[in-house]
Amino acid sequence: MSKEKKMNEKGFKAWLARFLTNEKWSKLTVPVFCIVLMLIFSSILLLILGKNPFTAFYSFLAGNGFAPKASYGAGSGMLSDFFQFLNIMAPMLLAALAFIFAYRCGLFNIGIAGQMLLSGFVASITVGYMKNLSGVIAKPLVILIGILVGGALGAFVGFLKYRFNIHEVVSTIMINYIISYLTGFYINSKFVDPISRASKVVSAQSRLTYTKVLIGGFYCNVPLGIVLAIVMAFVVHFIFEKTVFGFELRAVGSNRNAARYSGINVGRQIVFSMMLSGVLAGLAGVTYYLGFTNQILPKTLAGMGYDAIATALLGNSNPLGAILSSMLITLFQNGSNYMSSVLGVAKEIASVITGILLLFSACGGYFRYVSAASLDRLADYKHTQEKQEKEAKGGADK
Amino acid sequence: MGANNEEYIVEMRHITKRFPGIIANDDVTIQVKKGEIYALLGENGAGKSTLMSMLYGLYEPDHGEIYVRGEKVEFKSPAEAAAKNIGMVHQHFKLVDNYTVGENIVLGIEPMKKALGIFPYVDMKEANEKIRTLSKEYGLEVNPTDLISDINVSIRQRVEIMKMLYREAEILIFDEPTAILTPQEVEYLLKIMLELRKGGKTIILITHKIEEIKKVADRCAILRRGRLIDILDVPTTSTQEMANLMVGRNVELSAVKSEPHFGGVVLSVKDLSVRNEEKVQVVKGISFDVRAGEIFAIAGVSGNGQVELADAITGLEKIESGSVTLLGKEITNESIRTRTESGISYIPEDRQKFGIFMDFSLRDNMAIRRYYKEPFSKKGIFNFAESEAYANNVIDNYDVRSGQGAKTIMRSMSGGNQQKAIVGREIEEHTPLIIFVQPTRGLDMGAIENVHKQILQERDRGAAIVLISLELEEVMNLADTIGVIYNGQLLKIADAGTLTSQDVGRYMMGVTEA
Repeated sequence: MSKEKKMNEKGFKAWLARFLTNEKWSKLTVPVFCIVLMLIFSSILLLILGKNPFTAFYSFLAGNGFAPKASYGAGSGMLSDFFQFLNIMAPMLLAALAFIFAYRCGLFNIGIAGQMLLSGFVASITVGYMKNLSGVIAKPLVILIGILVGGALGAFVGFLKYRFNIHEVVSTIMINYIISYLTGFYINSKFVDPISRASKVVSAQSRLTYTKVLIGGFYCNVPLGIVLAIVMAFVVHFIFEKTVFGFELRAVGSNRNAARYSGINVGRQIVFSMMLSGVLAGLAGVTYYLGFTNQILPKTLAGMGYDAIATALLGNSNPLGAILSSMLITLFQNGSNYMSSVLGVAKEIASVITGILLLFSACGGYFRYVSAASLDRLADYKHTQEKQEKEAKGGADK
Repeated sequence: MGANNEEYIVEMRHITKRFPGIIANDDVTIQVKKGEIYALLGENGAGKSTLMSMLYGLYEPDHGEIYVRGEKVEFKSPAEAAAKNIGMVHQHFKLVDNYTVGENIVLGIEPMKKALGIFPYVDMKEANEKIRTLSKEYGLEVNPTDLISDINVSIRQRVEIMKMLYREAEILIFDEPTAILTPQEVEYLLKIMLELRKGGKTIILITHKIEEIKKVADRCAILRRGRLIDILDVPTTSTQEMANLMVGRNVELSAVKSEPHFGGVVLSVKDLSVRNEEKVQVVKGISFDVRAGEIFAIAGVSGNGQVELADAITGLEKIESGSVTLLGKEITNESIRTRTESGISYIPEDRQKFGIFMDFSLRDNMAIRRYYKEPFSKKGIFNFAESEAYANNVIDNYDVRSGQGAKTIMRSMSGGNQQKAIVGREIEEHTPLIIFVQPTRGLDMGAIENVHKQILQERDRGAAIVLISLELEEVMNLADTIGVIYNGQLLKIADAGTLTSQDVGRYMMGVTEA
């Protein structure tokens, strides 16, 4: 052979390939590998800008309460930052789950932002503005409204697709606009707070985040939403992996014709899937507008409704993966303020770093493929070497 | 091996190629002479296509060397192979539907001209002229101004061949070219191949159909499970000998059938009409009965309404008028699930589109007829141990070969094994009515033999069987009753014993008087 490549089965390359293809762990090792690549590349970027990457990453962590900051304001500390992080992560995770739920059934729910806004709006003007309602009743009511409004909106989109074959991407984008302007109109004409120019704040009883709770001497905003979100992640996971209903949804998403052939009622599953995606988006909405914030900016859709798509994809469109990916994305988004103030760089640099992360995670499948191929070559190389050795021995015997 | 032999236009030496969990080619050496038709014979998954994909630059071999015209080559892409005048007609065509034949042929190497000396445009006139000349030269009828979406598969294949000729390919690789063609179209294609050889082209033909090799090939290499078994001189080797070498054991070339024992009527179709999506009536008032223990074979040229007929019986296609009765119960307007539950199994024609979920595991695919019932699931929650055991059962009984058993993702399996899995899954239901559409399409001889045996077994068990096939031989071998479909109508229904294959062939062409 003219070009005999040297192969070493104990070398770093082989080790890395094995690390990435390990059947049991590759779901974890590949994203970790992507994150490491992201760290390397964003470090290079920061070095070019003349900043210390370690300070940058440390400040991301500090900004979210995973590491101590240099100084804190009165009454706040690491714990306050950490709870704030959870406050944003909760709706992000729910929104990502909403996307996953439709995506697994082959549907692209672009309407998460609109579904969030409408359920947040309805919950605000009903329960949120109701005086003298105790928290024990108000909070479950808010969640219920989130479920109902989001679900109804999602089901409507599913119905449009099922009955009139209107593509969900088109209908949800349009519905997003309608909701944004309609709620904007009502807020501006009826519920506006003349000073903040947003809607009037909702009552503390109805809010899903307990504000200024004293924990360990620090004032923290404790979100109920994060418990809800993580529970939902496991519920969604269970539905898809273990139930007949989830199997049918995946079947529809995987091959609509074969699903029909198997006797699955495709239209009904599309409506169900969109409805449940809407339910999750509705939950994201109430945890966002009656949790993380307590008022609504008119005519503004939450960017989170779109970021959730990237978050879901980073998590392999897996509900449990979404827990980790929403943590990570939130870490960079929420930490960007503090990072930029510590380093003195533009806040957008944080967005660039998030972008790099998403770029590499999109390459995850490719990394897995390349390493599997290189392991095969290695096995083949070993195989032929052994064969040659045997032949050489056989020749010597003769 | 000594110095490069001038005699050989293509040499592949000691080729080894691995894929995860499988050795596709293990130390394979073939040498092709200029101007010959060289056949690669082997069962599904024997490694024929993989070997040729390396010659065509789609894969790189893990080991071994490739020589073209005595010169060592290492193709990194099909473009590099094309530069050495190698062309390939794939099993699945790569054509742009809404372009014309001519545009598809010149795509990538468009003859450019400049209007008024500055505005570049594609000179289709000149291209179409060149295509017409080539068309005459090789007897390859294509009309360069037709839209791809308007022409049938056989002509699309001609377009693929023309694409290679237009690019001045000298070495033409055909990957299972006859799998999708009717008998007449196969004849035509084989004639074109001989014509091409006359024109000095070298042809490598990948196939598992021995008759075709017998008709056109000069030499033939037999592959089995990735290894080269033998290289034969075709004119001096018998068909039986080739079949045995390919499968690795003795093969019965036609199925042995016992006397039929008919029972009561299982399926009764009355005045059934179906309109397709384009609102064209494709099934026109068809009526027939199928009894228990009877194989009712529907013969016909592709596209005469047979697939729509099967879809209408199973509920995939809406019925315009008429009725379908199963075991005395009318099911004309029932849902698909109700129909299958009342006793229908269905092996659809397009297996990847309808029969399976490519991204699901073999385990899940084997369970789709039963997953919602106990013991596969209880109260809507799966018991995967059950479906895995069930899948393993099908894998063993129907010789489904896969890399990782029940866990294998369907996509990574060869087409033949996917088909075996579907046939196994549907037969295992042991329903009163089984509808087979092209059950052996794309299968190799060993697997065809198996499927035929299983069909006969089901018939002897007392199932009513509707067999829709384009292979006349299959119909003649298996049928108890033959119905010939032409243009959406059953032109003739008769006992199989009373018809010769010539009779059936005539009816297939629409000729009614004897």
